[in-house]
Amino acid sequence: MKRVCLFVIGIALLVAGCGGSGGSSSTTSGNGGHVNIVIWHGYTQAEATAIKTLTNEFNATHPNITVTPQFYGNSDYALQKVLAAIAGGKPPDISYLYGSWAANIATNPGTVNLTPYVSQSSFGWSDFWPAERNVATVNGKVIGVPALVDNLALVYNKRLFAQAGLAPPTPSWTWSDFENAAIKLTNPAKKQFGWAYVNDASEDTVWRYWALLWQAGGSILTPDGKHAAFDSPAGVKALTFLQTLAQHHAIYFDNGSGNYLGLFTSGHIGMLYTGPWDLGQITAGNQPYGVQILPGDQNHQTISGPDNWVVFNNGAARVKAAVEFLKWFTSPAIDLKWCLMTGDLPIRAAVAKLPGYKQFIQKYPGVGTWVENLNNATQSRPVTTTYPKISTVIGQMVQSVLLGKAQPQQALSSAAQQVNGILAAPS
Amino acid sequence: MTAPRLLPVETPPEKPRRRLPFSPRHLFLMPVAAIMLVPLLWMVILSLETEVQARSFPPVLIPSGLHFANYPAAWNAVPFGDFFLNSTIYALSTVAGNLLFCSLAAYAFARLRFVGSNLLFIVFLATLMVPYQVLLIPTFLIVKKLGMVDSVGGLIAPNLCSAFGVFMLRQFFRTLPIELEEAARIDGTSRLGILFRIVLPLSLPALATLGIIQFMWSWNDFLWPLIIIDTANHAPLQLGLSMLQGAHSTQWNLLMAGTVMSQIPMLAIFLFAQRWFIRSIAFTGIKQ
Amino acid sequence: MGLERPPAWKRILGSEHLAGWAFVMPAFILIGIFALVPIGWSLILSLQNNNLLAPGHYVGFANYRALAKDPAFRSAVGHTLVYTVLFVPISVVGALGLAVALNRKIRGIRFYRLAVFVPLVTSTVATGIVFLWLLDPTFGLFNYILHAVGLPQQQFLQDPNQALYCIVAMTVWGWLGFDVIVYLAALQGIPDELLEASKIDGASSWRTFRSVVVPLLGPATLFLVVWSTINALQLFDEIYVTTRGGPLGSTTVIVYYLYEQAFQFFNGGYGAAVAYVLFLGILIVTLVQLLVGRRTVYYRS
Repeated sequence: MKRVCLFVIGIALLVAGCGGSGGSSSTTSGNGGHVNIVIWHGYTQAEATAIKTLTNEFNATHPNITVTPQFYGNSDYALQKVLAAIAGGKPPDISYLYGSWAANIATNPGTVNLTPYVSQSSFGWSDFWPAERNVATVNGKVIGVPALVDNLALVYNKRLFAQAGLAPPTPSWTWSDFENAAIKLTNPAKKQFGWAYVNDASEDTVWRYWALLWQAGGSILTPDGKHAAFDSPAGVKALTFLQTLAQHHAIYFDNGSGNYLGLFTSGHIGMLYTGPWDLGQITAGNQPYGVQILPGDQNHQTISGPDNWVVFNNGAARVKAAVEFLKWFTSPAIDLKWCLMTGDLPIRAAVAKLPGYKQFIQKYPGVGTWVENLNNATQSRPVTTTYPKISTVIGQMVQSVLLGKAQPQQALSSAAQQVNGILAAPS
Repeated sequence: MTAPRLLPVETPPEKPRRRLPFSPRHLFLMPVAAIMLVPLLWMVILSLETEVQARSFPPVLIPSGLHFANYPAAWNAVPFGDFFLNSTIYALSTVAGNLLFCSLAAYAFARLRFVGSNLLFIVFLATLMVPYQVLLIPTFLIVKKLGMVDSVGGLIAPNLCSAFGVFMLRQFFRTLPIELEEAARIDGTSRLGILFRIVLPLSLPALATLGIIQFMWSWNDFLWPLIIIDTANHAPLQLGLSMLQGAHSTQWNLLMAGTVMSQIPMLAIFLFAQRWFIRSIAFTGIKQ
Repeated sequence: MGLERPPAWKRILGSEHLAGWAFVMPAFILIGIFALVPIGWSLILSLQNNNLLAPGHYVGFANYRALAKDPAFRSAVGHTLVYTVLFVPISVVGALGLAVALNRKIRGIRFYRLAVFVPLVTSTVATGIVFLWLLDPTFGLFNYILHAVGLPQQQFLQDPNQALYCIVAMTVWGWLGFDVIVYLAALQGIPDELLEASKIDGASSWRTFRSVVVPLLGPATLFLVVWSTINALQLFDEIYVTTRGGPLGSTTVIVYYLYEQAFQFFNGGYGAAVAYVLFLGILIVTLVQLLVGRRTVYYRS
């Protein structure tokens, strides 16, 4: 038995030796000017195929650069991997990073300041949507190139609307139109809900509330960013809107697992506030659906959640190659290819002017509304290192009102107090 | 090798025959087994559905047809063969390492008196008491220094010996009657010889249990592989399966097919190893 | 007694001290490199203000002082203790009963043992998804059953007063198999002659179980109690895939709080401090358990 064990250990070490030499992705830029860079992403399915296709195309047309995409898991797990790589001194050259991490990522000395590159006129920085540019800019420094843009729009089930005798939503729908419809669409006997809301106290809970707050004319923080501004009459109005619907049991509370989508496609939910990421499944489901901009109060603002490609400094040559790739990747023609392959929204306005754009709108029915809705994404969440803590406070606030454990005014005052404490604390 | 058997003994008269044609234990074990099997059943059902059905909520429990094609589709969607190979190497190596190194250490803690042994044992146990979330990054840094990033060796190295195995085997070794070992010592057998020729053969149930558990941990490991592996075809199974799992949309039918395929070896090993950690020797009338 | 004493070097080489250290050396090296060094690293981290991105700077024990005053941390400790006090006895006692029931040669026993093992190998993610469905307030199977027998609907994982208990149930279900196979292995070590002797003395099966089997399972029970406690105090994965610490923070346990601090708020140093306080707590609890075990557990040697 000892011999067997030693044999197996030997194999393990052999494999370790092999793996160690072959698996390293560190490269130099010395061999004849050829540069290898690595791009980390969390794409699966259509997007994974798309990034492979496009990086192959780039590699073929740019003989001096080879871009290798690598899958790094999704969401929170990815952050741990990126942090480990940074701690180990060998971050990827480019990484897809959530917009909510931007402010913290900017504190890393290895994060490349992209301002000099994007301010060149050929980059077309102003062509990117304002919401994206806001998330990519921390304290005046551009630290990311937009990777994804989205927003919340209203998706509704046409069949359920017809059944309830309701006229479909229009661009001028108000909150009371929405409330009315949601209540009419709710039928406990049939286990049918008028609306769904993600109620897990995460940022998913929070950002929907921000859209409501902005529609009521409110804002998150004071202009100097030092105090909470959401505990205003607008804030109360927005929370009361949620409370009323919750009291009518018109809302299906999703616990973060995304079951609301399966319920919508099986005809149990009348309306959703959701984004283009769900469009694929909604289309594949057998419910006739429509897409409309969000119902409004003082305005019809929506909220967008852009993500960034961040470049890390692994030497001047690799940074240059990474920027060149990103410039190519986000150019209108290439981005249109991406949109056609994945159904993601165009990350810049020029894409909508290309001849192939019509094909995109037709291939993904309803996506056009989201693109137009980008014009309603006029405000953004604060891009600060304290935002995640603020998000937790607001998440609990909204959740407590939805669960009927708190009244809007009291919940808002308490949350504002906590947020002011967070903002005042030395970082 | 088993514990010494007793000579045949007169058994007391049997209790009156039960009225049921089968053991009443079935009445208890059946529902328990059913409860335990619910998620596996759910996975299997989902793995045989279409993509749209698999995404429905509430779940569609009676699929319209059996889409066995999901299985080859899952196999081809991602480099499944590589995943299986990497997982096998990873799991077998950590099992071998743990069985060997933990046995040695556990024997020392169980039977040998050496200076500092109590303190050392506590130190070993202490390594189980720190949440893994704070240990991921420093472990990564160490493995990186050893040059094993993005390799199966990097997967294996931190998992070759765990204090869990040392603790468990120490408990088991201490339940063995010491007379056999003492006799062998008097006969002049080396301590290593005692371990390998007397103690381990008597500890097959414990070793099999440790083997199964360690195999399972390595086979199901997701987070450490995520941190250490960069290239898709160096990934073990759970990490590989996560490539079917998007941030917003997952192909549930394929993912479940892949998951079911990945669980089959685990269950097979368990069935196979039962012969070692459950004595299947015929019992006397006592245990009826 | 007249035997020649071997030379000193032979005595040292053959001594139990050297043998003991030689035997533990491989484990010590591996555990030292891959567990002790990282634990040391995170101790250093806990003394810093460090977001794991920018270089950190030392702040001494400031993180620990802040923890002592942190009401959210105290809540987390409370939730963790409630969970542990429920999880450990239920799972260990339940497993003992189940193991005894499975230690038979009735038809299909292999299938039953396999069934008990299945939850252990099911990934936490899959388990979480299934339980989220089973416990869904509107569409879940459990409420369907409650409705069928005329009982009121429960909110389960969406009710701050029920969520933690649902997690207890979910984790007992998931971990029972582990305890069962350890007990099954331990039951093999009970010699038949002891059981037969007890039977001959006229003891009932229950009496035999209580006076012979349970004491002989002492080492295994101690192991399972210590191991279950260590694990319960570090509960995280099941929370992460179901409630994410909610609703309203009612299932935020210590490690989940650590995770929030380190990977959502980017307070790496503070998270490490949480880990260390937890570590000390677990160490104390384990030492107490081992001391009690030393007095009560019977090792046949």
